[in-house]
Amino acid sequence: MTAHTQVRNTEAGPITWLYGRLRRLPVAGLWLIVVVWSLPTVSLFINSWRSRDDQRGSGWWTVQPGELTLDNYRQIFETNVNTNLGKSLLNSIAISIPATIIPISIAAFAAYAFAWMNFKGRKALFIATVSLLALPLQVALIPLLQLYVGGAHVTISWIDKTITLFPDLNLVNTTTAVWLTHTGFALPFAIFLIHNYIAGLPGEIFESARVDGADHFTIFWRLVVPLSIPVLAAFAIFQFLWTWNDYLIANTMAGTNPNALPTTILIANLAGDFGTNEHLLPAAAFIQTTAPLAVFFSMQRYFVRGLIAGAVKG
Amino acid sequence: MREFARQILAVLLTVTVAVGVSGALWVLANLLVNRMRDSSVRATYVSRALTGFVVASVLSGNRLTQYATAAAGASFVRSLVQWIWLPLIVAVAVGAFTFVAERLKRRERRIIAEVLLIGTVGGVLGALLVDTARPNIVAGEVALIATLSTLLFGTVGAIAHRGVRTLAVLRMALLGAVAGLVLGAWGVGDLGASSARSSIVLGAIIGCLVGTRWALVPAVSREHRVAREHRARTAVFLAPALGFIAIALVIPSLRTIYLSLLDRKGSTFVGIDNYASIFRDPKAWDMSRFGSLWTSRLTVAAGVCFLVFVLLAVRSRRRSGHFVEYGSASAPLLVLAVMFAGFAVFSTLRGTLVNNLWWVFVVTALSTGLGLLIAVLADGVRFERTAKAIIFMPLAVSMVGASVIFRLVYISRDASKPQSGTLNALWVGLGSLSTGDGFARLVVGVLVLVPTALALLAVTRSLVRRQWTKIALPAAVAGGGIWFSLRYWQLIGTGLGGQRVGKSGEIIADPINFLQEPPFNNFWLMLVLVWIQTGFAMVIFSAAIRAVPRELTEAAAIDGADTQQIFWRVTMPQIGPTIGVVATTIMVLVMKVFDIVKVMTNGNFGTEVLSNNMYREAFYNLDIGLGAALAVLIFVSVLPIMYINIRRMNRTT
Repeated sequence: MTAHTQVRNTEAGPITWLYGRLRRLPVAGLWLIVVVWSLPTVSLFINSWRSRDDQRGSGWWTVQPGELTLDNYRQIFETNVNTNLGKSLLNSIAISIPATIIPISIAAFAAYAFAWMNFKGRKALFIATVSLLALPLQVALIPLLQLYVGGAHVTISWIDKTITLFPDLNLVNTTTAVWLTHTGFALPFAIFLIHNYIAGLPGEIFESARVDGADHFTIFWRLVVPLSIPVLAAFAIFQFLWTWNDYLIANTMAGTNPNALPTTILIANLAGDFGTNEHLLPAAAFIQTTAPLAVFFSMQRYFVRGLIAGAVKG
Repeated sequence: MREFARQILAVLLTVTVAVGVSGALWVLANLLVNRMRDSSVRATYVSRALTGFVVASVLSGNRLTQYATAAAGASFVRSLVQWIWLPLIVAVAVGAFTFVAERLKRRERRIIAEVLLIGTVGGVLGALLVDTARPNIVAGEVALIATLSTLLFGTVGAIAHRGVRTLAVLRMALLGAVAGLVLGAWGVGDLGASSARSSIVLGAIIGCLVGTRWALVPAVSREHRVAREHRARTAVFLAPALGFIAIALVIPSLRTIYLSLLDRKGSTFVGIDNYASIFRDPKAWDMSRFGSLWTSRLTVAAGVCFLVFVLLAVRSRRRSGHFVEYGSASAPLLVLAVMFAGFAVFSTLRGTLVNNLWWVFVVTALSTGLGLLIAVLADGVRFERTAKAIIFMPLAVSMVGASVIFRLVYISRDASKPQSGTLNALWVGLGSLSTGDGFARLVVGVLVLVPTALALLAVTRSLVRRQWTKIALPAAVAGGGIWFSLRYWQLIGTGLGGQRVGKSGEIIADPINFLQEPPFNNFWLMLVLVWIQTGFAMVIFSAAIRAVPRELTEAAAIDGADTQQIFWRVTMPQIGPTIGVVATTIMVLVMKVFDIVKVMTNGNFGTEVLSNNMYREAFYNLDIGLGAALAVLIFVSVLPIMYINIRRMNRTT
């Protein structure tokens, strides 16, 4: 102990001391980055409590406790179709929940088949499916919208007849169209993520279950689903965040129906009409962000695990 | 309030029905497959009843379309009932008759019974269908389609069974005949649309064919049954996913490629005109300002960085045999040179395609680099989880929300008023500090000078100790500090920050209109995505750093490597592949960036990107051909990354 202190004492000088402080500089840099990263959100939060004039006239850092007001939050729930957040929150829920649950189950079946069933062309089919991960969804938007607007028909000119391949179900401008689209687009990633996890489960338990006479359905239901709750949760969080935050698909499929707008479109529309409702933006954006943030912070561990499984193992 | 509760209920009901029905269907399918093995005969009844149901609903199929289209007036349930009663009756009848026929021991009798009974069902079905007013059935066309598909399926059967077993070929041919008749009757003209006689005859023919097909099934062996169960099970597990993917992704993508070759209404074939017009459009690719590249300050900076890089690289080559390595002093300079050069080139070119490339370049580089930096800095620091959670949080914020958030950062107001945007307040504030005088000016100046001096000290120390690898960071800090101080104290130029000197020598605030001043408004938009994506990169890199085997770093430490050497020579090579994964993931995301541009500038002020352009053309200007062509361009631009991903997956699975 004393020897150690002595050694340090012989080395200690002002320069060494300074250099020791300098080595802390990176940590200070880290916290500086953290502050910079959180400032935009803080500014949004503060401005959401300030009146229209305050927001316009001065920056959020000049806030006084006396000028805080609930008016913005009250206004966005008032029954004006174009700015009513309540209705669009409902629409967001009506889109996000089916768009989360249905792809999980469908993808879990397929992931199990790809991982533990033997059939011809399994690997090729799997790679083909997963390679669609990188497919930009813009590529599918126009035909999908056409499908929702009028169904799919083939006209055979030499017999002069039109055959209906897919009926016109009048889906355009409904939340159903939005979550159906989300379901299709989510599947490659869901299959990929869940497959990675299920394929890593120990094969012996399946073998012994099969020896006991269990079929694939039982194995899937009784063994695989309970064992893969973590990855299912991870995907659920992903998909919820993605569908809740989506703007492009919702705007394409339901953008012109004021009764089917999810929150993101409502906010984007508010941001578009320069001036008139600008002061409501922070409050609306903050409420819109609350749901994903709550999900995110309460289930961060699953989310991170899913992210890592999706990227590192790939 | 009651209205609200009603809406919530409606939402919940829809969700439950959608989830419940699809789940129940899947479980039922599985139970059926279970039956196939355990009690094969009963499974046969059920599967045949199902076939009957499907055929009947297809035959009355166009009516489903009718009801759904007319749904505005009629209730959904009523039209469902109207449609479903017939298929249900057929299903029950088919099941029951199969049950009767299978009781017969003698094979010939069974064949006759099945043909007759199922034929009868078909005839009755045809008769019951005679209630719609549809175009007349064209018997010739139906027959033609049926013959063609008989031949087709027969050939397939012959090929599949190598032509050995005539029975198998016959079965396939029958299947083909049924499929052809059903399709023909459904598509060409609704069965039951013309005279009762032709409907009944056609229905009976279909029924007889189906019956023959079923009667020809040989006695099932156990292996056959197991194989059949396995096939059916695989189909049940895979079909929903593959079906969805085909309908929502594969077929639409192919159709988009087809549409991109048509004109704006999607009716006339125009070849590659759409693509040609994209590339000819100066809004997509404008090189007219390229000449100013050589006078740009960014080019000069890139050149200087490159020169220093060359000097250091030669030195590094002499010492270690490589021009550039992880952590060699030459590496950061090369990175800087490439960054400056990229910015120089992209800021002189203009246009949609250029902007997209610029986005990919900046967001990928910054997010990956910052993510790695933060992951390294935060590793093992106190409150590591808090710091990471804050960096990570923007990932949960929607891009629309992020755009709203960054409006508050980027707002610019008239120079005469106080700035309410964060960045402009800082910028103008710095300007008034730099040009003004007083205590605050002194404090800020000294605050910058202190770290600059410290960094200089570190540089000197490293120089004295000849620790070349440790120079880079302090040198950068010192250089930045010196430059800042020179400008701030007005030793070079008229001071730093958002101010300029007016006509009569007075100092005027000079805010930057971040979103409307090209070309760098693009960069400010990109920062929003960097804000979001850095957290993603950081999380992945943190995990990758944790996953580096402890033995490796410990062995390096025992061999006398210091922290930096361990990081650059052991950790970095280990996480190299992860950097690739993160970069490609971000690239794919950036290529299709839409929300931020749409909400913040809507592509005005020279910030257009492919995705927003495609949206505008396809859904505002209603130019389907051009929109599809732009979508295909986005697709083509991610193809290389798709290829890389496939190759990587091929290696790992």
